[in-house]
Amino acid sequence: MIPHDILTLYDAKAFEYVIALLFLALFIPFWQYLSGEARPALQPAVQAARRKPARPLTELVEWFRMAPDAFYHPGHAWARAATDGRVALGVDDFAQKLVGRLKAVELPAVGTRLSLGEPAWRLRVDGKAVEMLSPVDGVVTDVNPMVVASPALANADPYGEGWLVKVDAPRFPAHRRTLLSGRLARSWIEDATNALRLRMSPEVGLALQDGGMPVDGIAHALDPDRWDVIASEFLLTQGNETPATGERR
Amino acid sequence: MRSSAQTMTPQASWFSEKILMGLTPRAYVRSLFTPFDLIAGLILAVGIPVIIYRFAFGLGAATNLTQETPWGIWIGFDMLCGVALAAGGFSIASTVYIFGLKDFHPIVRPAVLTAFLGYLFAVLGLMCDLGRPWNLPIPMIYSFGTTSVMFEVGWCVMLYTTVLALEFSPALFEWLGIGEGIRRLIVKATIGLTVAAVLLSTLHQSSLGALFLMAPTKIHPLWYSPFIPAYFFISAIGAGLSMVIVESSLSHRAFQGRADHEVNLDRVAIGLARAAAVVLFAYFFLKLQGVADGGHWALLATPMGYWFLFEVLGFVLVPSLLFAHGARTRNTRLIKWTAAWTVLGAVVNRLNVSVIAFNWNIEHHYVPSWMEVVTTLTLVTTGVLCFRWTVNRMPILRELPQYRDEH
Repeated sequence: MIPHDILTLYDAKAFEYVIALLFLALFIPFWQYLSGEARPALQPAVQAARRKPARPLTELVEWFRMAPDAFYHPGHAWARAATDGRVALGVDDFAQKLVGRLKAVELPAVGTRLSLGEPAWRLRVDGKAVEMLSPVDGVVTDVNPMVVASPALANADPYGEGWLVKVDAPRFPAHRRTLLSGRLARSWIEDATNALRLRMSPEVGLALQDGGMPVDGIAHALDPDRWDVIASEFLLTQGNETPATGERR
Repeated sequence: MRSSAQTMTPQASWFSEKILMGLTPRAYVRSLFTPFDLIAGLILAVGIPVIIYRFAFGLGAATNLTQETPWGIWIGFDMLCGVALAAGGFSIASTVYIFGLKDFHPIVRPAVLTAFLGYLFAVLGLMCDLGRPWNLPIPMIYSFGTTSVMFEVGWCVMLYTTVLALEFSPALFEWLGIGEGIRRLIVKATIGLTVAAVLLSTLHQSSLGALFLMAPTKIHPLWYSPFIPAYFFISAIGAGLSMVIVESSLSHRAFQGRADHEVNLDRVAIGLARAAAVVLFAYFFLKLQGVADGGHWALLATPMGYWFLFEVLGFVLVPSLLFAHGARTRNTRLIKWTAAWTVLGAVVNRLNVSVIAFNWNIEHHYVPSWMEVVTTLTLVTTGVLCFRWTVNRMPILRELPQYRDEH
């Protein structure tokens, strides 16, 4: 028996036991940290609403928010050059307030060619759908999966996280001159708001008297049965409104 | 003539639809003129003649391998890294089909395809490395060397590559629209195939490490350990999970038109990051056990020791903590970068064991020849091209509507 060898052996064993105990002791806080969450899980729409906006704040024109850096089509779709060279498209605040809380958004598939002024996507609310027109010519390269999963995101943050599709639109720099922006866009929204005022029923008029904002789903508040016809009138797709049958994505 | 023209038409349309993806031959060829394709073409233009040269003139002419260092990067990178990074295949398949975590179902097929191609090209790398690959049937079939670890590795890799081919085959049948009976049979056998995959992977992932038990004096003591089979197996799981995060992130970005948009990839990445964090955390402490067991603490203060510390701290402990932080804060960007770093770490580990720390103390240490590097690059490029070719055509990142409910 050589004491030195035994001691050497016990040295190694002691280290191994210490490492094993250290692992077990550290694994508990590690597991707690790993399986916890930094903050309670939020719905995507709430998350988007709380997230710090990445672009200039929207401004209020009459009752509706407008993004100063977006280009608007008279059918209430907007287009904005994204940082990756493509063009992001979405619905403006007027359109989302007009149709109300979205149940589904039927987006064109990736690869679909969109044409300026032609139907591009459908907003589905309460079993009816209204179409919207494309503000640009281009090929869809990406659809927003967050909006597909949680359509109300387009209501909560229409100019930010609620974008609908991205398109490859090489002619956008030329086409955007035909779209509305800046002072022209503000004046157009003022006109649209006035047109809406003329259609207001006494129920929605309460909001006016209070000096507040109109309720979401203005078209529905105007006429619960024919809200899709009213919405289509403002979105310039009159005659294209369809009942809820089947999915198009 | 007329009848032959009639019979040709459906064939041409099948070829155009399935192979050319609905394009005319001219448009298809034009679609290949992208920067990626040009670089890949350049690599193949140099690499294929180099591989032919290696088979025509032998290992001595094409490589820097010697009797002293018989294994180079074709084993260290192509074989060891290819197999380790392909471990995502059995990890994800068992998660979904054995443990029933259906959230991960959308990434099973890409993970299995990655694994299948990983093994296929690891075997091709091995063919380049073997002095006389045409003699391979002798130890595999005619003369069993049942006491050899290499025999076990060879058979396991062969069987597992077959299992992966079977696991992948339903996508092939769905794409071709034929063999419905066989496809159904294979889909029914999914659980059996997954069990076989776990069994075979456990055996050969660890046996690849066990190969190095034969060289206790050649490998630097910090990398040599009797636990090396366990190290190889556990680190392969961490590397495989990371590879799946990287692959799914890149392929959903590169193949947007071919992917299901309903798939919540962020949720999948967070789940995989949690698993990878635990695996790497445990692996880090096991590596410490190796140092303690060998009594090599003093070696940590040497240049090779610094390199060892860089590997186990930088590529194991730090990624483990970053994965945990990424999963906790749902930071998928952090998770994806950490996964890419961990994949690099797996490559560093395998090259450390097989090349850098192997014969670390000899005078003329092995450095791969340019032809070895080009061959490896050619095999990796061909693997990526095969992955792209398959994903562009077969239902890998999406499910065909008619099969949606049965997976």
